[in-house]
Amino acid sequence: MGTGLSGLMAVMRKELRQTFRDRRMVAILIMAPLIQTVVLGYAVDLDVDAVPTVVCDRDQSPASRALVQEYLAGGTFRLVGRAAEPADAERWLDRGDAAVALILERGLGERLRAGQAASVQVFIDGSDSNRALVAMSASTQFFVGRAARLSQERLSWLERLQGRSLAVPRLTLEPRIMYNPRLSSPRYMVPGVAAFLLLLVTTLLTAMGIARERELGTLEQILVTPLSPMALLTGKCLPFAFLGLIDVAGLVAIGALLFDVPMRGPLWLVFAGTLVYLLTTLGIGILISTVSRTQQQAMLGALFFMLPALLLSGFATPIGNMPGWLQPITYLNPMRYFVEFMRGCLIRGSGLAELWPKLLVLLVFGLSVLGLGALRFRKRLA
Amino acid sequence: MGPEAVIEVAGLTRRFGSFTAVQQVSFSVRAGEIFGFLGANGAGKSTTIRILCGLLAPSEGHACVAGIDVARDPEAVKRSIGYMSQKFSLYLDLTAEENLEFFGGAYGLGRRALRQRGRELLARVGLRERSAEITGRLPGGMRQRLALAAAMLHRPRILFLDEPTSGVDPRARQSFWALIREAAREGVTVFVTTHAMDEAEFCDRIGLMADGRLRALDTPDGLKRSFLPGEMFHLELSPDRSIDALASQPGVLRIESAGAAYRLRVEAGRFDPEKLRALLGPAAVRVERVEPDLEDVFLEVVTQARGEAVP
Repeated sequence: MGTGLSGLMAVMRKELRQTFRDRRMVAILIMAPLIQTVVLGYAVDLDVDAVPTVVCDRDQSPASRALVQEYLAGGTFRLVGRAAEPADAERWLDRGDAAVALILERGLGERLRAGQAASVQVFIDGSDSNRALVAMSASTQFFVGRAARLSQERLSWLERLQGRSLAVPRLTLEPRIMYNPRLSSPRYMVPGVAAFLLLLVTTLLTAMGIARERELGTLEQILVTPLSPMALLTGKCLPFAFLGLIDVAGLVAIGALLFDVPMRGPLWLVFAGTLVYLLTTLGIGILISTVSRTQQQAMLGALFFMLPALLLSGFATPIGNMPGWLQPITYLNPMRYFVEFMRGCLIRGSGLAELWPKLLVLLVFGLSVLGLGALRFRKRLA
Repeated sequence: MGPEAVIEVAGLTRRFGSFTAVQQVSFSVRAGEIFGFLGANGAGKSTTIRILCGLLAPSEGHACVAGIDVARDPEAVKRSIGYMSQKFSLYLDLTAEENLEFFGGAYGLGRRALRQRGRELLARVGLRERSAEITGRLPGGMRQRLALAAAMLHRPRILFLDEPTSGVDPRARQSFWALIREAAREGVTVFVTTHAMDEAEFCDRIGLMADGRLRALDTPDGLKRSFLPGEMFHLELSPDRSIDALASQPGVLRIESAGAAYRLRVEAGRFDPEKLRALLGPAAVRVERVEPDLEDVFLEVVTQARGEAVP
């Protein structure tokens, strides 16, 4: 006897009409997430190469020139200038014109040839810690490698001299980075960006959409009809959920085409996970709308939730780097599970067998938040 | 006994915290009646109407609408009533037709029935030519008529109209009232609140609200007879002249000032315009006998209510 289905269809048709009538809205809903993915993908590129480097070669021997040339050949360092004195090199760093200074002392070639110990100095600007870390590890890797080669050369020379082989134990490290071998950060970022944009679009729109009906009085007009609160909520949420899926499809495509996200996992799982995550984001939107009287309040409420959710999701910074007391709190953040789910699915190629615990947590979150939102919504009307 | 009562209210009270918006209100409305609910802003009209529509639960008392207890089964009430709230509450970014389509769907009307009923109502409220226009671009009067059409989509037995003509120009008001009377002729009961006294004259019966209480309930003529016995005169005096000369005359019941003019109520048969002229002397610019209107009734009722409130 209820107006369930016809009412639900009427609400959906109305929502779609209102949304698509407003061109700016369409732009916000579909274009903005895609553009933002591109921008965020490039902007938060954490890869470090071409670090500006100043070289101070006081030795000017064939050996020192060869060292400099090889040091720069890797691509991590880009020569921006040469300095006569170490003090000059430091000034380059002070001015910010260079982030790394390579200092080779006088007599370096001589000492090496003579089989003596020699040292090389590298100054690194630590104000950008990520870049400093990369420069540091590249320098270490380079010079450790060079040192090993020099000893090897010396050893061969000794062997030839003495006419017998000299056994020296050697240990080599062979690191192999899995899933993201070039340590490309967009790969790491795209799943997080997807989680955030879905939250932004669906939570904000749901919260503001319901608050708008309340603010304009149309909600009261709906309440005198036999339309059930469930049909109203479902009808309002479904179009946004649908838009969310479209956004995810776009994001995944951009990730694959522009940022080389490997897309290892099954696509259906990506969408299934998104749907489960949407339960939460829509539910939070409904919850926020029940505590806001105006659209403005709803918007602020949504931001109030979204920023901490974003920062505590491990979206850009690893949760393991957060202070110890903060880490347990991230378990209460549904976005965290979705970011992990997407990374697992898109980058590691995990399937349902590995990812079901995250999906289960998201499902529990989603159903409780949505249920709570619907309950509060119904209560507020009465 | 007359026709059946479709709205029956007994001892209705609604409190918001320590504030009592509606206090011990009782009345009944017969089928097919245009029942006007009058009162100043904040007198409790909208609260009463929202209780009757099932939007608010009463704190005390009973309200039956179309034979259904609104506190017990507000959902069942919704099918028999149409409601137009004080604030325009259709979607301004949808066309007139799309608004009707949405609310028709909310009332569970089938597609075909809805299309036919929508066309019929749009023609009736004079919006057939503008049905494809965005509602926000329609003038105020048309919007109100569209809201009325939306409230009537499901052929409700009772229409609740909360200040339907507020902020609408006089001509648009007239055409709106023509629609209300047309609905009533078809047997729809109309419960309408207003604070425009000229509109109240169109009602079959009027309830007067002041400070949350129902102070009077009768036909417009009955109200005038019981609250304004005697005769009314409209007086205009030259500036700076006082009406005090009349105030002490025996048989003068009440003098209300309205700017430079006065409304004078006296016992029947004791005064005529000549006698009043003589009493006022050269101060009298204009003296004429008038019929009392509901404005006078309203002022009288409010004054009496104040008198009671201050013991």
